[in-house]
Formats: sequence, C-alpha cells, structure tokens
Amino acid sequence: MAQVAAPRSQGLGPGFWPVTIVMTVVNIILGIYIATFDINKYLPEAAAPAGDIDLLFKFMAAIGNAIFLYVTVYVVYFAIVWRRRPSDAPDAIGIQIHDAPTLELWWTIIPSVLVIIIAIFSVKIWMNLQNASGDVLTMEAIGHQFKFEFRYPNLKSSVYDEMHVPVDTPVTVQVTSSDVIHSFWVPEVRLKYDMVPGLVQSVRFTPNRIGKYRVICTEFCGTNHANMFATMYIDSPQDFNRWIAAQAKLQASSGGAVALQGGTAAAGQTLFANKCSSCHSVGPFEQKIVGPGLGKLLSDTTHPNLVTGEKPNAVDISHVLIKGYQGPDDSQGKNGPSLGAMPNRDANGLSNSDIANLVAYLTSLSQSK
Amino acid sequence: MAVSSLNSTHEAVHARYQEVDSLYRETRDIRLLGFVLFLVSDVVLFSMFIFAYLYLRNSVPNWPPINKDGVQLPRFDLAFACINSCVLFGSGATMHFAMESWKHLKKADFNLWMIATIVLGVMFLGGQAYEYNHVPLTWAGSTMGGSFFTLTGMHGFHVFIGVIYLITLFIQANRGVYTGSKYFGLTAGTLYWHFVDVIWVALFYLFYLL
Amino acid sequence: MAIAVPHPPGGHIDTHSDHIHPAPRTFIGKYIFSLDAKVIGVQYMIAGLLFFCISGLLAEVVRIQLMRPEGGFVSNDTYNGVYTLHASGMIWMTIIPLVTGGFGNYVMPLMIGARDVAFPWLNLVSFWIFPPAGLMLFGSFLIGAPDAGWTEYPPVSVQGPPGTSLWCAAIFLIGISSTMTGLNFMVTIMKMRAPGMTFTRMPLFVWAQLATALLNMVATVALSAALAALFMERQFGVPFYDPGRGGSPILWQHMFWFYSHPAVYIMILPAFGFISEILPTFARKPIFGYKMIAFSSIAIALLGFTVWAHHMFTSGMAPWMQLPFMILTMIIAVPTGLKVFGWTATLWGGKIEYHPAMLFALGFIVVFTLGGVTGIFLSSVPVDLHWHGTYAVVAHIHYVLFGGSIFGVFAAVYYWWPKITGRMMSNKLGVLHFWLTFVSFNATFLPMHWLGLMGMPRRVAQYSDTTPLLINQFTIVNQFISISSFVLAASTLVLLYNMAHSLIAGKKAPPNPWNARTLEWQISSPPPYYNFKKIPAVLKNPYEFGEPLPYLGLDPSDKDDHHPSPTDHPTPAHA
Repeated sequence: MAQVAAPRSQGLGPGFWPVTIVMTVVNIILGIYIATFDINKYLPEAAAPAGDIDLLFKFMAAIGNAIFLYVTVYVVYFAIVWRRRPSDAPDAIGIQIHDAPTLELWWTIIPSVLVIIIAIFSVKIWMNLQNASGDVLTMEAIGHQFKFEFRYPNLKSSVYDEMHVPVDTPVTVQVTSSDVIHSFWVPEVRLKYDMVPGLVQSVRFTPNRIGKYRVICTEFCGTNHANMFATMYIDSPQDFNRWIAAQAKLQASSGGAVALQGGTAAAGQTLFANKCSSCHSVGPFEQKIVGPGLGKLLSDTTHPNLVTGEKPNAVDISHVLIKGYQGPDDSQGKNGPSLGAMPNRDANGLSNSDIANLVAYLTSLSQSK
Repeated sequence: MAVSSLNSTHEAVHARYQEVDSLYRETRDIRLLGFVLFLVSDVVLFSMFIFAYLYLRNSVPNWPPINKDGVQLPRFDLAFACINSCVLFGSGATMHFAMESWKHLKKADFNLWMIATIVLGVMFLGGQAYEYNHVPLTWAGSTMGGSFFTLTGMHGFHVFIGVIYLITLFIQANRGVYTGSKYFGLTAGTLYWHFVDVIWVALFYLFYLL
Repeated sequence: MAIAVPHPPGGHIDTHSDHIHPAPRTFIGKYIFSLDAKVIGVQYMIAGLLFFCISGLLAEVVRIQLMRPEGGFVSNDTYNGVYTLHASGMIWMTIIPLVTGGFGNYVMPLMIGARDVAFPWLNLVSFWIFPPAGLMLFGSFLIGAPDAGWTEYPPVSVQGPPGTSLWCAAIFLIGISSTMTGLNFMVTIMKMRAPGMTFTRMPLFVWAQLATALLNMVATVALSAALAALFMERQFGVPFYDPGRGGSPILWQHMFWFYSHPAVYIMILPAFGFISEILPTFARKPIFGYKMIAFSSIAIALLGFTVWAHHMFTSGMAPWMQLPFMILTMIIAVPTGLKVFGWTATLWGGKIEYHPAMLFALGFIVVFTLGGVTGIFLSSVPVDLHWHGTYAVVAHIHYVLFGGSIFGVFAAVYYWWPKITGRMMSNKLGVLHFWLTFVSFNATFLPMHWLGLMGMPRRVAQYSDTTPLLINQFTIVNQFISISSFVLAASTLVLLYNMAHSLIAGKKAPPNPWNARTLEWQISSPPPYYNFKKIPAVLKNPYEFGEPLPYLGLDPSDKDDHHPSPTDHPTPAHA
C-alpha cells in the first residue's frame, strides 16, 4: 500500500502489515490454485469456445477473489483491532482522518487497471466468439412449448428431443422459436442463445469431446418450462453419419399410407398407456391433460373435426399420428390453451403396426358405451 | 389586482415578479421546480413510446407495414394534419399572449386570449376525432395503427386535461385568485400548454413527415 | 476562513421552511391521512414490513418445492406464480417503498433541517396508492397469478394467466407512487435545506436519497410505458410485442430493462446512504472520502441509465451492441468499489461499537462486495452466456438485494428505531438476529452459485442432475439451501419479537442514544410533528467527531420529551 496521511499515533495499527502480507500471500496461492484448477473435471468443456470462456472465468475469479478477500479480511480485522475497549472513556473518538489522497489515488488506479485488463480480455474472447467457425454443418433448432425440434439439411422431416453433431466439425445451430421465447443452452458448450420467435440467432461452436449432453431451456416459457430438455450427442463422424442415415430411413418409411387392417385394440391400449397418456386421457374432450381427451374421438358431435380440420376417420387419424401436430397455438380459441406440440411418429417411436393398433384402439373407445 | 405600479413596461413586469414576500417567493420556487420535473417525467413517458414506435418501424423492411392481406398500408394524409397542427400551434401563441397580457395587467386582453386558446384547443381535439375516423387504421390492426393511436391518444388525453386546466385557470383568474405579481398557476398552465405543443411537433414529424 | 452564516445573527426570515402549519387535530388527520412525512414514513414501513413477510413466505414455498427434484408441493402453475409474486413483491412492494418512502420520508427532511417534504399532499397520495397496489398484486393469486417471473417477457406473458393484467396494473400504480416520491424528494433536497447546508455539507444519506430520487423520477416512467403497452396488447390486442404482427419481443426487454436496471440502483443507493451514516457514528470518526462517496452516488445513478442491455446479452439483439454495454457495466464497478474501500477505511482507526446496526453495516460490506464481484462476471459477455438464466444469477441477485438492500434496511431499523418510536430495542436480540441472519443467509445463497454454473436453470418447478457425476448432488445441495432458508426466515422472527417487545416494554429513548451528529438526533425521540422549533443554520458537514456540533440556532427545548396534543402549537419562528 502507498503512504497514508500521517495519523496521530500507532502507525497503521497493531498487526496491519502482518495481516496484509499474509493476505497477499494467501491471495497469490489462491490465484495459482484458481489458475491451475481444472474446470474440465467438473463440468467438461465439450466444444471450443468453452476452453476460452473458462480461461476468462478463471482470470476473473482470481481477481474477484482477491478483491473480496482483501475487503472482507480488512473489515473483520479493523472491526476487531479498532474496537472500543472497556477502558476507553465514554466520549472517546476515533482518529479524525477524512482523506488520504495518495491512498485514494492508488485504490482508484489499481481497480481501474484491473477493470481495463478484464475488459480487454473479455473483448478478445468476445471477438473469438464472433469469429468462431461454424459453417461445415448448419442445422436448425426450433423451440416449442415444451420440446426442442431439430432440422438437418439432408433430413426431410424434423427430429425431436435429440440432436447429434459430429466431433471436430464446426457447427452452426440456427435457433428460433415457434411460439414464445425459449433458450438453447448446453452447459458443457457454455454458449446460450435465446430462441426468439421472429428472429434467428446462430450458435457457432466446434464440438471436441464425444459424449452425451443435455440441452436445457433457460428462458421461462410456460407451465412445463422446467421439463423442457433435449439430448445432444457429440458423435464420431461415422456414428453421426450412421445416425443421419437411420433417421432418413425412418422418415422415408413413414411417407406412404400405413396399412391399418390387422391392428388390435388390446395392443393399442398398451401403447396408449405408454406413449399417449401423459398428454391425453381416454375421457371426453374436456378432460384435457395437454391435448384433449380422446374417448369420443370419432363420435363427438360438439367437436366434429380433428385438430387438422379433417373428419375423424381412421386414415386421417393415422396421418396425425404420423406427422404429429405443430399447428398454431390455439390459446385464445375454443379448444382452450394448448400446452405443447404433439410429437410425430419418429419422436414417439411408432412403427407401422403401432399406428394400426392405436387407430384400432381409438376406434374401439368411441364405439363402446 | 395588485396595487403595484400601473406602469406596464417590461421592467415593471419584472419588478412585480421580484417584489413578492419571501414566503411566496420560496413557495413559487419550489412549485416551479416540482412542475418542471413533472414535465420532465412526462417527456420520458412520451419518449419511451416514441422509442417503441421507431424500434417497431425499424424492425420491418417496409413502412408503412404490409397488413395481413398482403397490402401495404397507406401513408398518412398530410393536408388535414397540417391544418390541425396550425390550430394547436396557434393556441400556443394565444396562450403566450394571454400570459403577457396578464403580466402587463391587461385583464380584458387576458380573458380574450385565454378564451381563444381554449377554443383552439377544443378545435384541435375535434380535428383529432375527425382524423381518427378517417385514417384507415385500427388500434389493434397493425403496429402502425397501434403506435399512432397510442401516441396521439396519449397526447390528445394531455390536451384534454390541459383544456380543463385552462378553463379552471380562467375561472380562478377572474375570481381574483391571481394578482399582477402572484400568478404561479398561470405560469404552470402556460408551461403545460407549451409542453403539449412541443410534444405535438415531435409526433407530427414522426408520423406525418418521417 | 470565516464560516458563512446566511441569516443575519439574531435575525430571522419568515420563509416557507420556517413556517409551521397548525397541528393536525383528528385521529384520522394525525395517523391515517397525515400530511406529516414522518407519519407517512412509518406507514410505508409498516406496509413494507407486511409485504416483506408475505413475499418471504412465498420464497419458502419455493424452497419447500425444491427440496425434491420432482417437486410436487404445488402445481407448476402455482409454483410459477409464487416465485413471480415473490420477486415482484420484494422489489416493488418491499424494498423500494421501504428505502425511499419509508426511511427517505422519515429521516431525510430531519437531516436537512426541514419541517416536511416539498409537497405533503403529493406525499400522502403517494403512500395511499401503495397498499391497494400491493393488495392488487397479491390478489392476482385469486384469478391466476402471473407466472413468467418479475420480468414477464412476451410472448409468454401475453398468453399468461389473467393475473398478469392485474400485475401490470398493480406495478403501474406503484410506479406512479414512486415517481411522485422521487419528484417530491428531489425538490425537497434541492430547495429546502437549512440555511448554510451547501451540497457538500449534506449528510451522505441525503446524497444517496438525491441520487435515488433522480432515478425514481425518470426511470420509473419507462416501466409504466412498458407495462401499459403489455396491458394494451393483452387486453386489446394492440401489437407491440407479437412478432407475428410486426411487433418485437425484444422491444419489451429494452423498455423493461431501461427501467429495471436503474431500479436496482434505486434499491441499493439508499442502503449505501444508511451505511454511510451508521459507520461514522459507531466508529466515532468521519466517513473516509466524503466527496468521493457523495459524487460516486451521482455517478452511479447517471451511469446506471447506460447499462440496461447487459440483461439482454443472450436476447438476440444485434451482436455489436453487446460490446458497449459490457464496457459501461464494467466501468460502474469502479465508483462502487471506491465506496467499499471508503467504508473499509472508515473503520480504520475507529472506536468501534458492536451495535446491531454496526454489525449489519459490516455484514453489508462483506456480502455486498461478494455480490458486486459476481456482477463483474455477469458483465463480461462470454462468461454471461454461461451464467445467464441460471441459479448463478439468482445467487447474485440475492447477494446484492438481500445482502445489500435488506441488510441495509435491518441496519437502518436498529439505528433509527429509537428516534422513530421513542423506545430502545434489545441489543442482545439484535446481535442474535445478526448472526443468525448472516450465517443462514450465506448458507442459503452461496451454494446457488455452484448450482447455476453446473447447469440448474432458474424458474424451474422441478430439476434434475445434468451429468452422471452429479447424481443426487443437485438434490442434496437444494435441500441444504432450503433448510438454511428456513433458518433465515425464522431469524426474522427474532427481529419482529424485538420490535414488538420494544414497543410494549422498551426503555424510553433519549434524543441521541448513539451520540450521533446529524440533525435528527438533536431533537426529541420521537420528534414533534413540526420537527424543529427553529430551523438551525448549518456550518459544516456532520462528521467531525470531537468538535462541537456545527449547528446554530437550535432551540434547546427541541430535545425535551414531546407528546404533541391537538392544541399544541409552538411559537412560530417569526413571532
């Protein structure tokens, strides 16, 4: 510390320099500990620029920690050393010092320099983010209440809940939303961008660690915001290509009509319980969970059409099961506020016979009673 | 009326303003600062909606915007708005003359100019009602309609309150509440009315000219 | 150097400030619809305390839910409404009213040697808007509470439950109250200081209230505009924020944060003012760096208008905009740091008493510094991209708002309680309250930094661990936090008991139990409605311990025990 305006007695107080020196040493040690701390062990860095961001974070942590420790230790130390003693006169006062211009100058300059350094470092990393490469694979992520939809350039249809990216390949994920603001965040990638309806943001990163990670929605988006997740797989290039090929095959096979004869209601009932009951009940229309009750799907005179506008016959019902439903959010409409999109057959994992069985089951529900 | 000098030169006006007891002087100072700060906060209110309008305008490639049928909305008709604006600016001038008349102890002139101001203010409101009926926009139909009706509606509401305020001041002045040297209410009214004028300059520019 | 004495010696001027109004006569005039800033201040404090307790209980509902990853204590919709009203209630119905309307109204006029604020009727209206607005806010539970957080981003807030419109109206109303209070305080401080009290002789509490009043008056109006637009869109379909009709969700964020960033300075600057008074009094020495602390308050207030978009780094605004907001936010750290260093240096060389007010002031410095440091992380865009929207932000918020503003309020309560009520509080209970609060506060909010950095987003009714390494760790940490929060909530009971006991059976308070030097301590506890029989002249700032008090012309009988009665009317200054 620089010189202080001469107080009347006692120098800077008993133990001031020992405390200061010990604290400085502790701060240096902690700074080294922070600098060598391997964040990767606790929260893996799965992509560039996570490494950059972690470095910046550690740098700021070392400085911030030093500031905090100096202030805290001095406050506690002064509060103890300069306390009123029982032997003090009742009107005893402290050392009447108002200012110490040199000290104040230094404690303005040093933090300002630290702030400038942090700013420069931050700007550098920020520029890295702006210039990050990403255009070898460009894909889209669209937020829905309460699912992530992913679109790939060579896949006809979207994939839900799961995205794959090849390792060491610059990726651009163009994020947007179909309804309200969501946010796309993979903690291991460290980047977070809001998914805003009406505009597209580009998330650019190069994954560098194969594994399974979670995509987390980080902007409140409605009732089930807490449960809005997707999984991101960083694959080897071969595994990635394999996955794309498998998706393409699944999507191709769902293009044509599904043979509906031979479906059994009993098998459909089990399927319904596993796949559909979290959003649909088998009661009347009004018994909504997320979507309407399907008990009278083919025989409800007050709701004569399917959500797509078609009549409730077996073929059109199978189309809804195949394609899912992401139509306009009918929140002001007579169907009441909808709470989410209906996943398509890929997301639900429905084979052709599954679809036939479900249609049979739904038909039987409407016919009973 | 005050029994101060019957001389109505500029120095006499100034002298009457200064020769008040210190209790009134301090009260007037406090109220003036309070009123000016109130107008400042009102400017912030309008500024926020003006920011919103400019932001929305900037976020689409076409202005006027294209409505949901794919048709571009028409620009505002300048002629009528110019006339109506002159009415309002005219009322600002008459207000100024009213204030000057009062300061120069010319009560009859004051009354005439005040009535003129009030009449012109009411005419402006009538003109706005006409404009609202004729402009091919709805409040909820587009961002153009939304920002136009919100901003001019806020302004019109301020004019309406201003007209009531001016009528009250007119009555008070004729009841003898104000004198040749103590007339803070009139000062505040004049400031408010000019504020309303200045806001209209901005709105006229932003909607009809820009 | 001669010290200017603005009044002719022995003379007097019948000014607005000297003029004493007749005493209020009826019960309603004295205690319900009172024009006296002190009564209004107490009314704000009572209502603020009530809303603090309600908002705090809502926080406990959140913590009970989060004891289990699957939640289940309340439904998701209820949970979302609970934390939305917790934050809205704490910010708008607790902290801002307490630090401005409560302590500002009571203490500021006394400190500048005034009898009241500039516009007492405006003050009365400002207060009486407050409880109905609060009831409206919490009453929204009855029709479906707003659920999108206190920030209510569209489009989700446009679709939100009916209570969202009520939320708009309630906050709009309290905004009017705040704006009027800000205007009132600005004029009071600019125009009604006692003779001789130049700006650099003003106590730092008054500097803080001046800076806050500026923000209150200018920024709050911006919020009113945003709320009005949201209301119009919800109720009448006017397109401001709907991207499908030409609107922009980001417009809301700009309008909202243009207010809400200055709002956080509205919440913290008065607390800085409390600390700047309490430290010198209980260290028995001047505040270190008076001018620096005074001017940095104004600097922070002005700079505070330029940094709002640091809440929007992930929002989709044009990327180049991130840069200036990042730099400006980092710059604000400097004047704030100067204050912290100044307070620390005030302790050096003091004769420090461990009074509860002093303990909370010390705790404030430590805890607020940590909150300020995490703010530096958040100001850096690359780091913020990871922190935003997670529990790390929740941790930062609570360190600066609870550890900052609320600790400041607690300190102020212990400091000015005797002046306001005429009774002493129990020091022992105060010390217990401090330690319980300090320890449980840190136990509650420190682990939230880790939770956020490891992947727990905010505003979630359920949670789960993100990586195999963390199985069960989120649960354990959340349970630890919840239990600590129960202790924190319970510690408030110690304060409430202390207050109740003091009112019923506390020792009578002398005019100046702390031997402090600002003007409010030179008159009786509590003061008479007219504050000072004669407005004193002020010769110096109030921090020169060991010198005689720098006031001329105080009537010594001002210190006499005073129980004003309806017929009481002291000799006016000019008689």
